[in-house]
Amino acid sequence: MATVTARTADFEAEPTTDISRTRALWTTIRRKPLGAASATLIAVLVLTAIFADVLAPYDPLAAQPEIRLAPPSWEHPFGTDDIGRDVFSRVIYGCRISLWVGLLAVGIGTIVGMIIGLLCGYCEGRTDLVLQRVMDGIQAIPGLVLALAIVSVLRPSTTNAMIAIAMVIIPGNSRIVRGAVLSAKQNRYVEAAQAIGCRHPRIILSHILPNVTAPILVIASIWLGNAILIEATLSFLGVGTQPPTPSWGLMLSSTGRAFMEQAPWLALFPGLAISLAVLGFNLFGDTLRDAWDPKLRRG
Amino acid sequence: MHIDRLGPLASRLNRRQFLTRAGWTGLGATALVAGSGRARVAAQTASPYPDWIPASTKPPKRGGVLTRASSWDPPVIDPRLTQSVGLYQFAGLVGSRLIRYAFPDEVSGPAELSLKGDLAESWQSTSDARVWTFKLRQGVKWHNLPPLNGREFVAADVKYCFEAYAKEGAQSFTFQEIEGIETPDKYTVRIHLKTPNVLFPQNVAEPITVLFSREVLEEDGDLKKRMIGTGPYTLKEHTRKVRVVLARNPDYFDKGRPYVDEYIILSTPDAATRMAAFRTAQSDIIWLASPSEVETVRKTNANAAVQSYHNTLTPFGVALAQDRPPFNDVRVRRAVSMAIDRQKQADTVFEGHGIIGWGVPYIYYTDKQPTLAQLGPWWQYRPAEAKKLLAEAGHPNGFETTLFYYEYFPQMTSQVQLVQQDLKRNLNINVKITKLDYTTYYGRYVESKWDGMSWGFQSGHAIGLDERTYQYMHSRSTKNFFRVNDPVIDELTTKLRQTPDRAEQRVVTKKIVDREFDQVLRMWMPYDNGFMVFQPHVRNAAAGALRRTDGYGSSTISRVWLDK
Amino acid sequence: MLAVPVLLLSSLIVFGLMRVMPGDALTALMGESGNIGERELAKIRHDLRLDLPYYQQYLLWLWQMVSLRPGDSIFTGEPISVSLAKALPVTLELAALAMVLGLVIAVPIGVLSATRQDTPSDYVGRVVAVSGLSLPDFWLGTLVITFAAIWFHWIPAIGYVSFWESPVRNLQQFLLPAAVLGYRLAAATMRMTRSTVLEVLREDYVRTAWAKGLEGRIVVYKHALKNALIPVVTIVGGQLGVLLAGTFVVETIFALPGMGRLTVEAILFRDYPVVQTNVMLVAGTLVALNLFVDLTYAWLDPRIRYQ
Repeated sequence: MATVTARTADFEAEPTTDISRTRALWTTIRRKPLGAASATLIAVLVLTAIFADVLAPYDPLAAQPEIRLAPPSWEHPFGTDDIGRDVFSRVIYGCRISLWVGLLAVGIGTIVGMIIGLLCGYCEGRTDLVLQRVMDGIQAIPGLVLALAIVSVLRPSTTNAMIAIAMVIIPGNSRIVRGAVLSAKQNRYVEAAQAIGCRHPRIILSHILPNVTAPILVIASIWLGNAILIEATLSFLGVGTQPPTPSWGLMLSSTGRAFMEQAPWLALFPGLAISLAVLGFNLFGDTLRDAWDPKLRRG
Repeated sequence: MHIDRLGPLASRLNRRQFLTRAGWTGLGATALVAGSGRARVAAQTASPYPDWIPASTKPPKRGGVLTRASSWDPPVIDPRLTQSVGLYQFAGLVGSRLIRYAFPDEVSGPAELSLKGDLAESWQSTSDARVWTFKLRQGVKWHNLPPLNGREFVAADVKYCFEAYAKEGAQSFTFQEIEGIETPDKYTVRIHLKTPNVLFPQNVAEPITVLFSREVLEEDGDLKKRMIGTGPYTLKEHTRKVRVVLARNPDYFDKGRPYVDEYIILSTPDAATRMAAFRTAQSDIIWLASPSEVETVRKTNANAAVQSYHNTLTPFGVALAQDRPPFNDVRVRRAVSMAIDRQKQADTVFEGHGIIGWGVPYIYYTDKQPTLAQLGPWWQYRPAEAKKLLAEAGHPNGFETTLFYYEYFPQMTSQVQLVQQDLKRNLNINVKITKLDYTTYYGRYVESKWDGMSWGFQSGHAIGLDERTYQYMHSRSTKNFFRVNDPVIDELTTKLRQTPDRAEQRVVTKKIVDREFDQVLRMWMPYDNGFMVFQPHVRNAAAGALRRTDGYGSSTISRVWLDK
Repeated sequence: MLAVPVLLLSSLIVFGLMRVMPGDALTALMGESGNIGERELAKIRHDLRLDLPYYQQYLLWLWQMVSLRPGDSIFTGEPISVSLAKALPVTLELAALAMVLGLVIAVPIGVLSATRQDTPSDYVGRVVAVSGLSLPDFWLGTLVITFAAIWFHWIPAIGYVSFWESPVRNLQQFLLPAAVLGYRLAAATMRMTRSTVLEVLREDYVRTAWAKGLEGRIVVYKHALKNALIPVVTIVGGQLGVLLAGTFVVETIFALPGMGRLTVEAILFRDYPVVQTNVMLVAGTLVALNLFVDLTYAWLDPRIRYQ
């Protein structure tokens, strides 16, 4: 008994703990300028979202139609929109909305995808076959079409847009998780754990999950940017977030496009915001991968 | 900005165009001459653009190609199946009607509503307005295409066509008042109506009554594949979602016309693209919503001709579920109406170039465009009184309600949000907005079972008085989407149909309108007038006399010529 | 093969979603017709067999698919096979041109970025690439068409002509939209190229080749690129799918009558047969494409054998 326990302890000492991963990330950020830049950007976005109430000088919903379509000025650094609302305040609050949409959509998509992927990868056999085919079936439908259809079925709203986007994400995620689970299962310590009779949940949680979270987080960070863009396109089609919500996507696709020549600032600032957010998330995803990808670490 | 920014749906769904192609300035030449201050409702900056572009005095040149980038694509070319402006933007050029409204080069200003004969030379009715006799023009030929091969147009064609319309399809409503049709000879059509209707000729002059042929319908089984008529142009090409090409009909009965060889309509769903097409001379006519848009175009196209366009009515308003609480209480309706600052909307969202809003074209009961003050107490912005009235009605703390709409054009979203803010600030009414796609919106709206509020419209292509009163307001009419149910209105609108005397018609109409405003049966909202913009070489294309050149008024293009 | 149940499942999902959406095709028809009475509506509904129970409608449609006679559009009455035959070439041409433009830009830049990792050119390349991914295409498209008209007084001729009718005019029309579409593709491909080249450059056999003293460039191009291309091919295959599905916005702005417009407008009008057929076509193409990519994969890398 004692020897077996001792031996499993050895295997379990694999460097897959959180502490060393965080350290790896920190090192990467410090070493690579783009990593640092993107991390800063994300921090700025998150802080803006949290402290929107304090940062925004005006109520984003307060319309003053007399000063509509005013160009940027000291009182209104980003100008005013088609009914005289302060664009700067709306962009700040938009940060909260867009991040919220992104996080929820990607969060749901990731978690559900992960669960399905785990089930598939771990159980294999018939469960795997059936679930994978279902995922393929969903994935074969073009993303925009699927999202549009789902939002049309549920009434158009911010929440439903998130659900629709999540549905688009799930199949891809489940496949990635499944792949990671399958390769993790090859590890000897998993076999050993199974041999000594560890219960399944413990195996999954302690041995498989850590190996899976890395690729998932990388993909999730990239999907965050995409989610914001899909929401913008849904708004373009008229079925995204509802007015008067200050979401970047809605601002860009409706008033931004309609007044593109007369008031380019209406599109410029939300557009910049979206670009920066997507840029930040994508570069951060690259950084995560640079930090955690075992193959790159060897170099 | 452009009206047709319906994004993906612009091609079919621009109901706004659908509804507002009736352009009309109430000012007309008289007001300009008299200088009597343009009795406009909104505090409008005097528009630098004329209300009317008179017909050119130069002799017309034949030839050339007129092109237009259009937001509409015809869903079908069968006039029995649709009233879509996508079809009628050219159906009136391929086919003809018995009667039409006057063309711009036949009148001296846009304020003239006279009816002219198209295929009918003259018409008259019995004294009770129940039997109408039309004398047809002789020698009119169908297009020289199989299976008609240029045969003569006769009375039997009218009978066939009207009966087919009445039997089934989208136009059946219009023709259902017909009891029977006789054709005593080749050029005479006698129509018997079920009930008297002095306004019947106006119904006949509507663009949707284009005449089609028996041969095509019988051979093809439907009118979806071929469109053959008696009009100034033949349908040369129809490629769905791409273009419609019309070519001059060499046998047209109006010798010498049309002037332009070909009229090409390019399907262009995106508004920015249509604007770009006009700028690069790929499109000859464009409609723009606001003065600032016009300025933008003139920066690159300084020589474009601009006509300031005025509407005689607004097609949109706040529709309330007035058959149930809380909106069945007239005090609530009045309070809501007084809490909305319409003037501000017209001044800001429509840059001063809009009308405050009313449903029945004012030309039918008055000469000058009504001022805000003339619309009655409930149309004035009086938030304090509104709050008192609402409290009286039992809602001192406001209430929650919903408003659904479809964004026909961006300004509508601006308006909806302003209304939401007004109601919240002034009455503590929380309006939850839902912006829907077209199909969902339309289905829910016309089902008439919705609760709360909607940004409603009065539908239809028609500008006839009957349509705008009886059809939209009578409690038993199927087009009564605002759910008006008022016995006084029922009585007055029925009476109107039986009033042949013009002066008396005006009196009755005014009573209807007064009642509508007093009871706030339909809460009309500001609407803009817009501008027609033409390339400098286009002549005789002015929008006026109830029809806009690019939409339902397309038959006017037979008078257009290109000075190149 | 496993593809069939997948496609069946997709078709079920789409069918279900469309039917659950509020409103139906007749509402849209009504809107365009202004006014149809209950009687007429019931008749049309019956003619279109919309009053049958759902499972019967589904089976009917399935049979139409299998026998390759997709039926007619509810909204326009046009046979779906006709509209597909017209729309497909447009989207295919658009996607193909976008791919070409995208790849021509993306692959060299990706390789450059990888071989010069962490230098300024790498940063610039990556930032430009990611900016391509962060601009919504409807915005880019509107920008392009608006400012082309203002600055150059030129926009492509509106009114689609096929390549066979007039090659010059056709290419002129497709250039801008393909560029807008291709920009996003280029961004995604460039990043993927960069990261796979990076990985491959660290592979043992590459480092061995370097150690042997072969000239750097030869090492890169001969050994690394071929293997790096494998995941790129996968990505490109995936991107083609995204392209095919995502041409809607560009088609609307540049007035091209392609599959994107056909499908999305059909959804918005609840034109069930059109949506179902189109989606099945795209889904089937994607599945076939995946298969093709897998085969190419095997051919490119002899170490992998298709199982």
